[in-house]
Amino acid sequence: MLSRTAENLYWISRYMERAETMARLLDVGYRMSLFPNPKGYHNEWDSVLSAAGAAQGYFTKYNEINQENVEDYIFFDEENPSSVYSCISKARNNALLVRTAFTPEAWVAINKSYKEILELKNKKFTRADLPNFTEWTIQQVNMFRGSANSLLRNDGYHFIFLGTFIERADNSARLLDVKYFVLLPTADYIGGNLDNLQWIILLRSLSSFRAFRWAYDGDVTSTKIAHFFILNNDCSRSLSFCINNIVYHLNCLKCSPDKISDIYSGLKSVHNSVKDETVESIIEYGLHEYVTNFVSKISFLDNQIQNHFFR
Amino acid sequence: MFDEMYSDDAQIRKHYLQVNSWLRTMSSTVISQKNFEAESHFKRIGITFSVKDDDMTERIIPFDLIPRILTNYEWAKIEKGVLQRAKALNAFLHDIYNSGEIFKAGIVPKEIVYKKSSYDQSMINFSPPRKIYSPIIGVDLVRTGKDEFYVLEDNCRTPSGVSYMLENREIMMKMFPDLFHTNRVLRVDDYPTRLLQTLMSLAPKKCDSNIPTVVLLTPGHLNSAYYEHTFLSDQMGIEMVESQDLFVENDLLYMKTVDGPKKIDVVYRRIDDEFLDPLCYNPDSVIGVPGITQVYKTGGVNICSAPGAGIADDKAIYIFVPEMIKFYLGETPILDNVETWRCERDDELTYVLENIEKLVVKEVDGSGGYGMLIGPKSTKDQISDFSTKLKSNPRGYIAQPTLDLSSSPTLIDNEVSGRRVDLRPFCLVGEKVQLCPGGLTRVALNKGSYVVNSSQGGGVKDTWVLAD
Repeated sequence: MLSRTAENLYWISRYMERAETMARLLDVGYRMSLFPNPKGYHNEWDSVLSAAGAAQGYFTKYNEINQENVEDYIFFDEENPSSVYSCISKARNNALLVRTAFTPEAWVAINKSYKEILELKNKKFTRADLPNFTEWTIQQVNMFRGSANSLLRNDGYHFIFLGTFIERADNSARLLDVKYFVLLPTADYIGGNLDNLQWIILLRSLSSFRAFRWAYDGDVTSTKIAHFFILNNDCSRSLSFCINNIVYHLNCLKCSPDKISDIYSGLKSVHNSVKDETVESIIEYGLHEYVTNFVSKISFLDNQIQNHFFR
Repeated sequence: MFDEMYSDDAQIRKHYLQVNSWLRTMSSTVISQKNFEAESHFKRIGITFSVKDDDMTERIIPFDLIPRILTNYEWAKIEKGVLQRAKALNAFLHDIYNSGEIFKAGIVPKEIVYKKSSYDQSMINFSPPRKIYSPIIGVDLVRTGKDEFYVLEDNCRTPSGVSYMLENREIMMKMFPDLFHTNRVLRVDDYPTRLLQTLMSLAPKKCDSNIPTVVLLTPGHLNSAYYEHTFLSDQMGIEMVESQDLFVENDLLYMKTVDGPKKIDVVYRRIDDEFLDPLCYNPDSVIGVPGITQVYKTGGVNICSAPGAGIADDKAIYIFVPEMIKFYLGETPILDNVETWRCERDDELTYVLENIEKLVVKEVDGSGGYGMLIGPKSTKDQISDFSTKLKSNPRGYIAQPTLDLSSSPTLIDNEVSGRRVDLRPFCLVGEKVQLCPGGLTRVALNKGSYVVNSSQGGGVKDTWVLAD
């Protein structure tokens, strides 16, 4: 497989995954904005921007935070390289370049999403549309993933899913960080009512609330939720689940065994950080610190993949 | 005018009977719906072309539901004639780049060949694998009578349109499966396999594998035939590469893969000669591969078609093809050329100017139906403007009689009406010389028009060759 093809496939799935995260993040902000917050604490949109890595870009364009602007910036703004629009349009451009590595249905799925978001972008929208946009985005990404099932199980397929899980590992970690790093800067809040409400909103936004209920008995506690999102191998968005999938797809690659073993040695440390940890030790160490550390390990892994296979 | 469906006494020809009764069963609602279905299909898969004078907007080529049908008998002649031509054209290319026998025999004046920019001097004394320069030749044919087929031109570089031949058949089989139960239509869907076999049979001498690595080199997704490039690579299961995927090392050509460099044996290039190698041709080319010609000349890779193959389809060389067939093959030409006047000759220019309202005058280097004058269809002003251009640069033009192109039943506003057609079959020249039974039928959708080019109101049809 051409390096360029592999690189394009890897990025198509990263962009599609990122589009979904962005949409889900907005949904977190939207749900939070509908609940009364104690102490007039109203920076849910601020935290959404931070988690999206879009705060700096946003403030060069706008002076104040409000839902319409944040929504526009994160969904449709071409200047925001991670907006849902930017992600889908970059995924579509990459797909155009690797049409031979794609089945017709995978191409049609992406092409259709692109055509639709162009239309959505030009329509006037209202605050109430946000949940619809989120739902639409999630559907598009599911369609893409579903169509990827029709692909030949060659290296291209595994590069697609390497991209998916690297991006998801990074994004899940960032979503967790919104919770600890921004929403609740001091330890006083932990375990309080607000805390629980926001955890539940987070669960709902990740379509994981019911899954969580099935997986754990009794009360919703921050420890259980942290366990769910970090260490539970049954949760399709947990850090552990993502890492296991990265290991799996790397092992499936048929190309360059020496390169793969080289990458695997780098992967080991991030693998250990989900394998041998307990949720108590993570919280004691500091969730924010743990997550930051995790994100930088993922970024190192991403660099290794790019240097070994795409250069 | 010869009608493909009706004989002179207004009877439906036997091979059109089934299609005719099928046509009668279709209401205009069904026709509209099927048209819509076909159009959506072509849009969805993105089979588009660009129009020169229209800001390169992407458009879909109109598809006509009524197939163009050729009997096995008719095809037999076309097949023999095209194969013969393809062999002669390749023999000609080898000759003019090597010993030049045809010059010595006084059949083709060498000045004509040497003066052409498509004659590549760097190819002199070089011989590609199997002496084949042009492995894919698209021969444009028109019909004027029951047994009268003429060759309008040959396309020896990288003829396009074969993806339409295949996609048109696919959509017809999908929409009207019953038609294929009642008619025995020869298959075309193995064309990509045959193309791959042809390319593999042309591996260079340094290729040490039984299964040569073949790639398709595309200029990229802005090219108007990009869909065809992706389609053919996909159907052949070969990599579609761009220049940035390739590099030259130790007189071999490699592509960059996730496994590291992989040696390439055969390049099916869909870029023009001048862009192939910035070290050898146009130094500003960013879509070519620096050093690829050196690899080619030392037997490290084969480039299909060969650089300089384009001289064989030059309009000035065209007139010599019947002579070539006699000279190289010792055979009588099966398909005729259209009578052609070369305006660079004084007496022929005089004739052309005197009879211009009856003739078609074409630029020697023009293509796509641009830069031409169709005498009977032009106004006095257009004719006088064109005559002025002609007089100032006679060497740039040739003239041919206006051929009465055959007419084929076509759906116009859901009604059947006759429209003029041509035919481009695709000949493969490798270890075997073969012709896929079918081709691209283009149809002039405007009433009375002779211009079948998609850029100027042309459409396409599925082309059937019947098994018996």
